[in-house]
Amino acid sequence: MASPATALAIETEGLTKRYGATLALDGLDLAVAAGEVYGYLGPNGAGKTTTIRLLLGLHRPTTGRGKLFGVDAWRDPVRAHRRVAYVAGEPFLWPSLTGAETLEFLGRLHGGVDAAYRDLLVERFQLDTRKKLRALSKGNRQKVQLVAALATRADLLLLDEPTAGLDPLMEMAFRQSISEAKDRGQTVLLSSHLLSEVEATCDRVGILRKGRLIDQGTMAQLRQLGAQTIDVTFSGTPPQLPALPGVHVAGTGANTLRFEVSGEVTPLINSLAGQPVVGLSTHQPSLEEIFLHHYDSSDGRVPG
Amino acid sequence: MLLARRAFADARIRTISFAYLFAAVAYLNPVSYRHTYATLSERLQFAHSFANNKAVVLFYGKAYDLLTVGGYSAWRVGGILSILAAVFGLLAAVRALRTEEDSGRTELVLAGMASRAGLYSASLASIGAQMAVLWAAVVLGSLLAGLPAAGSAYLALAIASVVPVFAGAGAVASQFGATRRVALELGGAFVALTFVLRVIADTSTSLSWLRWATPLGWAEELRPFTGARPVVLLLPLAAAAVLVVLAGRLQDRRDVGTGLLAAVDSAPPRQRLLSSPTAQALRGERGGLLVWLVGVGAFALIIGVISKSISSAGISRQLRHEFAKLGTGSVITPKGYIGFSFLFFVLALSLFACSQVAAARHEESDERLETLLALPVGRRQWLGGRIGLAAGAAVAISLCSGLLGWVGAASQGVGISLPMMLEAGANCLPVALLFLGIAALAYAVLPRASAGIGYGLVTVAFLWQLFGSLFGAPGWLVRVTPFAHVGAVPTQPFRIVSAAVMLAIGIVTAVAALLAFERRDLMGA
Repeated sequence: MASPATALAIETEGLTKRYGATLALDGLDLAVAAGEVYGYLGPNGAGKTTTIRLLLGLHRPTTGRGKLFGVDAWRDPVRAHRRVAYVAGEPFLWPSLTGAETLEFLGRLHGGVDAAYRDLLVERFQLDTRKKLRALSKGNRQKVQLVAALATRADLLLLDEPTAGLDPLMEMAFRQSISEAKDRGQTVLLSSHLLSEVEATCDRVGILRKGRLIDQGTMAQLRQLGAQTIDVTFSGTPPQLPALPGVHVAGTGANTLRFEVSGEVTPLINSLAGQPVVGLSTHQPSLEEIFLHHYDSSDGRVPG
Repeated sequence: MLLARRAFADARIRTISFAYLFAAVAYLNPVSYRHTYATLSERLQFAHSFANNKAVVLFYGKAYDLLTVGGYSAWRVGGILSILAAVFGLLAAVRALRTEEDSGRTELVLAGMASRAGLYSASLASIGAQMAVLWAAVVLGSLLAGLPAAGSAYLALAIASVVPVFAGAGAVASQFGATRRVALELGGAFVALTFVLRVIADTSTSLSWLRWATPLGWAEELRPFTGARPVVLLLPLAAAAVLVVLAGRLQDRRDVGTGLLAAVDSAPPRQRLLSSPTAQALRGERGGLLVWLVGVGAFALIIGVISKSISSAGISRQLRHEFAKLGTGSVITPKGYIGFSFLFFVLALSLFACSQVAAARHEESDERLETLLALPVGRRQWLGGRIGLAAGAAVAISLCSGLLGWVGAASQGVGISLPMMLEAGANCLPVALLFLGIAALAYAVLPRASAGIGYGLVTVAFLWQLFGSLFGAPGWLVRVTPFAHVGAVPTQPFRIVSAAVMLAIGIVTAVAALLAFERRDLMGA
């Protein structure tokens, strides 16, 4: 019944985009399965918004192609968009329409929304829909866009920094809505700078840099590639320990040593045996540390 | 200084367009007058028939001396250009003050080293510079037409003196209105009021003192070429100073980005016209379309009313010869006059078509189109809808002009039938739809340049025909432009073949536009 191809909500093959002399995307191969919440990370100018624009058929790929549920949006945009809802990085809406009119307009164009859910979302995001959009702050206009997209209950949500400009309470409301969407089996592509948000909501994460996907995987997989941090507290001054492969001394205190272990932990444990160790703590690398780790090193594809 | 230069640069397109228009009007009127009324007796006839015709006075104002080229210029050129100068002053002020604030740029500048007073003075300085450009344009046009230098300079000054007063009014309106639209409405109402006062003063003898109550009347009272009275300049200067200072004081009393009149910012939802992108576009363009409809209709009404005076004038052979050169047929009858005047409506409607394409481009450059096209809305559906909307509005405007022209003519007892006038209106459509298609194609291929291409082509095509026939260029060269293929209906027959060809080209280019639009990236600003 459902062939492997159509079980992919997003699929790109060698997607490349050149704007004049600038290479914005370089042979992107992305695959997002239906029902997945995929985080899309990268610095400014990495190509995240370009990817979404190409997927939506707003811009034309230089080479390669992208498909949404098996439909190429450049060739057949209307069919491709029926199952998709998009939230842009900034609210590009009509200033003279009120919030209610905008929601109605966008809903009708989509072919219908879940009105009860829309009302619930308006409550949840505390929107004053009587106000004209020009009288709303940028964050509030962003909320209108967000509610419009979530209310469609579309099979695929393409979100480009949707919570930029939202306060922490609304950030929580957003996370709640995403988890509701996930429970309903909707697919989400979340492009974001808020690493905590991505960490909290996403199943898989892809890291884009200079138009290439340099890393991809679940949080667990990504953590394995990052270094583990071990803080050791001694009873006196820290002893000198022999250098071990994959173990890097990241910091020294009065009686502490901080190790970053990117390989096996056992050699370090063995070398600590017999030392006057008072305390030992470890923590997993956060997404931020993984992210920065990738951007410190020179670019090289890491299998994910 | 830097801010003033920036403000002047922002306004350069409007300033240059108005300057061209002013120079052209200042040049063409005296030249044509000298040609067509070469002898004193012809001029006496002209003075008798036109000067006392109330409908003409309504439009051009009171004439003091129609027997000399200078006096004619003061009447005709002064009359038209003082209204345009008023509009210019209003637009310049609203753009420099309200629009900049609404866009948020003012906030940005004020957060730096500029003060509110400094920014305000800079805006005024740039408007002063624009006024100087217009003054120079009128002087140039008059000098080229052979008018004496001192008189030309004074005429130009009389026209330019209107600008500061209405700029001051625009400044005050910008303080009250919270949006550009409200500021323009308030200022526009003021312009209309001053115009009505001038009309009443010029057409009734008992109320002629009202001329002193309106800035447009002061421009008349300055009497270029007919006994100059420079002391009257004190009036516009004083009025401008009062308005400018008032606007400055009002500005200090309000927050940046707001208006003194509270804007209507919330409303119960009105759900009509939201079912499709085209319907929503109509909803957004409603106001502008109404302005075009009323404006063109009003002009048509005036043309119809004025046409009556043509029949009772003895038009000289020279004049007939001039018009024959233009290839517009006989103008010595009311029908002929209407047919000739409606040729300008062809220009207006073509400019309207370009403005609709420019509005569509605006949706794209503000990136709202991205929001629309990310939904299940096809590119063809959207652009086709906007082209269709523009075409439908053009049909409505052309028929309205025909209808109101008939009303005007019939009210004066001119014997012209309604179907004939509707045909005159519909005659404007083929050229306008041709340019609609071409502008749409330009938008589909070169969106950032499309407004310039559209308006530029229309202007060039129109002037090509006008100057080509006036200066006797060979027929085949003049016929390059579509304007040469329009007959002056109702005196000349409706040229069906030309109309069909132009319509066909319009349709072909529009279809090409729809296809080409699917091939390019969406481009923001």
